[in-house]
Formats: sequence, C-alpha cells, structure tokens
Amino acid sequence: MIHALLGASLLLARARTRSDTSWVLEQATLTYSVSHPLHHTEGVSHFARGKGVCRDGQCDFLIATSVKSFDSGDSNRDLHMLQVTRGAEYPIVSVRTRLPETASALDTVYADLEVEFAGQNVHYAHVPFRRVTQGDKAYVSGTIPLTLSDFKIDPPSLFSIPVKNDVPVSVVMLWRQAP
Amino acid sequence: MRSAFALVICLCCVLLGKELRGQELQGSLSGAVADSSGRAIAGATISVKSLATGQGTEARSDSSGRYAVSGLAAGAYTVAIAAPGFQASTTTVTLAAGERKTVDIALEPELSLGDLGFTASQTQGSVQDQARLDRRTHMLKMHQRLGLITAASFVGTLISSTNAGGRATSTSGRNIHVGFGVLTTGLYLTTASFAILAPKIPGTETKGPIRVHKALAWIHGAGMILTPVLGGIAYHQRSLGERVHGIASAHGMVAAITAGAYGAAILSLSIRF
Repeated sequence: MIHALLGASLLLARARTRSDTSWVLEQATLTYSVSHPLHHTEGVSHFARGKGVCRDGQCDFLIATSVKSFDSGDSNRDLHMLQVTRGAEYPIVSVRTRLPETASALDTVYADLEVEFAGQNVHYAHVPFRRVTQGDKAYVSGTIPLTLSDFKIDPPSLFSIPVKNDVPVSVVMLWRQAP
Repeated sequence: MRSAFALVICLCCVLLGKELRGQELQGSLSGAVADSSGRAIAGATISVKSLATGQGTEARSDSSGRYAVSGLAAGAYTVAIAAPGFQASTTTVTLAAGERKTVDIALEPELSLGDLGFTASQTQGSVQDQARLDRRTHMLKMHQRLGLITAASFVGTLISSTNAGGRATSTSGRNIHVGFGVLTTGLYLTTASFAILAPKIPGTETKGPIRVHKALAWIHGAGMILTPVLGGIAYHQRSLGERVHGIASAHGMVAAITAGAYGAAILSLSIRF
C-alpha cells in the first residue's frame, strides 16, 4: 500500500514537473510602415492571436494574424497590399520563436524569429523586445526589421519610384500567463 | 625466427587488448523518437553535448525513429532533439564508463494555427482569389495609364475649343475641336471600362480617398456623356449659320465642370499608392 502511494506521488510529481505553463496573447497591435519619397503609410492589425507553451525550461511562442486584417485607412491601398504580398494565396502571417523560460525575468528579450509570410519563411536573429511585467501579465513591444526583398515581394511604385525595401513591423502585445 | 614471431604476436595481443578495453569504456546512447501517440518520427536530429568538455556529436533517427550515438566517455550530457513540426526537447543524461543507455523520446507537436483558433478556411489560400487580385491590379494599372493619356487629350480638346466657338470660330477650328472631342470621349470610355470591369473583391468596404475618386466619377461620367451631346447640337447650330443657343450654350460650362471633376479625381489618388 505504502509502495503504491509512493509510486502514485512520484507519478504526480513527475506529472507536475512535466505540466506546461502557457501564455495567451490577450491583445496585440501590429503596425507595418511603408516609406516612399512622397509618402509614408502605416497599416494596423488588431486581430493577432498568440500562444506560448513552456516545457523543459523552454518556451515556444506562435503569433499569427491574417494579412487582410491590416488596415491602412484606404481600401484601395489595402487591396493592393494584399495583391503584392500574395495575401489571398498565403492569407496568414505568423511568427514563431523559442525562448528560455528564464527570459520571463528580463526587461529586454532577444528573440530569434521565424516569420512566415507571402509564402516565404525568413529567420530574423536577435530581435530585441522590451518586456514589462504586471502580475500575471506581460507587456511586450519591439520592431521586426522586415524587408520586402526577404519575402520576394516586388515593391509597389508611385510615379515609377518604388517604395523603400524596409517595411518595419512594430509589435505591441499583452500576454497573460494561463493557469 | 621463432622468438621474433612470438614477440610480434605478444605485441599484437597487448595493443588489441588495450583497444578493446578502451572500447569497453566508451558508452552509447540509443533509443526511439516518437510523437505523443507513439508514432515514429524519422529524420529527427539528436544532438549530444558533453557538459564537461562542450564537445558534441549528432545523429538522425531512421525511418523507424531509432537513433544511436556511440563513443561517449563517462559523464553528463545534454541531449537535444529537434524535428520539423514538433517542439524541440532537451534532456540531461549521465553515463557511467562503458554504459549503454536507452533514452526514448516523445516529442509534442509544435503550436499550430489551429491551436490559435484559426479555422481551415481562414488559413487555406486560394489561387483563384489571388488571380482575381492580380487581374484587378493589372486592370487598375491600365485604368491609371489610360486615365493620364485621356487627361492629355482632354487638355487638347479644351485648348482647341478656343477656335471652335465665340467670335474667333472657324470651320477648321470646329473640326479640330470635334476631332479632339471624339478622341477624348473614346479614350475616356476605354479608361472607364477598365475600372468598371476590374474584378470586385467581395467583402471589401470602400474606405479612404477612393471614395472621393468614385464620387467624382459620377460627375465627370455624366459630364462626358452630356458634353459631346451638347457639343453636337452646338456644332449643328453653327453649321446652319446660327448662333449657339438653347441648351447647347451650356456646352462650354458642362465641359469645364467635367474637366474640373476629372482633374480632381486624378489628384485624389495621385499621391497614393
């Protein structure tokens, strides 16, 4: 009987150490910026979803949103953006990263990102994100240094002058640790 | 001769024995990589790194998920396992001298879009929809280019109008003006057709400067029908030697409003992309 109880408690302890802590993305604002000598445009998405699972001291995060959720305030431009980024064929932009669980104690987190967008998978190394914790919530913000050429996107042009290749995406997220 | 042969045999035995003892002291790791349902994962990368020396070695799981890493000295190792589509896993293993340890590894599937609540219809792309977008962009580019050519023709029509009416009128002046007018009307209809026939994208709410552009189209569109009609009447009256009178006298004013609306429509989008 004692052996059985001991075995059960050991199993429970093992289950506890294996039990995952997880994070849920509560709110997010993603903003891309496109620059042209004559014009500057921003498109915003508030519809990103995300989840993080921590196991064995490592946390895997996935954040994704639909390409067509980005709103620049001009439906004509948004449809053009959807066309040049092949957003109908590849409707989701997603970002994956893996961080050590200890990163949750840092003010600045450097993340290696796998960005899937426009049918391409691109790695961005060592991208800094600021992190502020309030209870079981974490505010995370940073900028992904995205470029059009990385994703084989032909830059749209105005008066035959193409937009700049750099299209930084600023990210502001509110994460909540799930029970 | 016989003693030399015996010496060689002895030497071989000593060397071989030492080698065999060394091999006996080397440990190994082996096992199977599977998913949480027990299905074998082929092609997983198993990286074994000595905590003491930092030296590492790699192996890959075969089609049945089996892997083996040999030649490991006694000590502690980190074993990192990675496979596409699965969350990477790390564990620590301690080997005694010559120990052959079996470490089976179960990998969890990596987070998927489904885990985030995206449905299959949201994540699946559509080649047909992309083709529709491509066609729309192509037609609107044509609309833009032809629109600028039409604008140039429009300017020509307005300039030629100075010799088509008023005191300085002449038959040749009127004919040149009519020629420009016909050209402009033809170009305008072609330009408009590219915008009208461009594929519509369902579920798109019209927002931003395109609303102004479309609203102005109602003005210059009506004007581009009315202006030639009034111009035709005016031309007929002049051909009869009459002064332009009645509704035809509005030809110039309607043309000016049409030109203004057309120019404003171009400007409403020209600083956008």
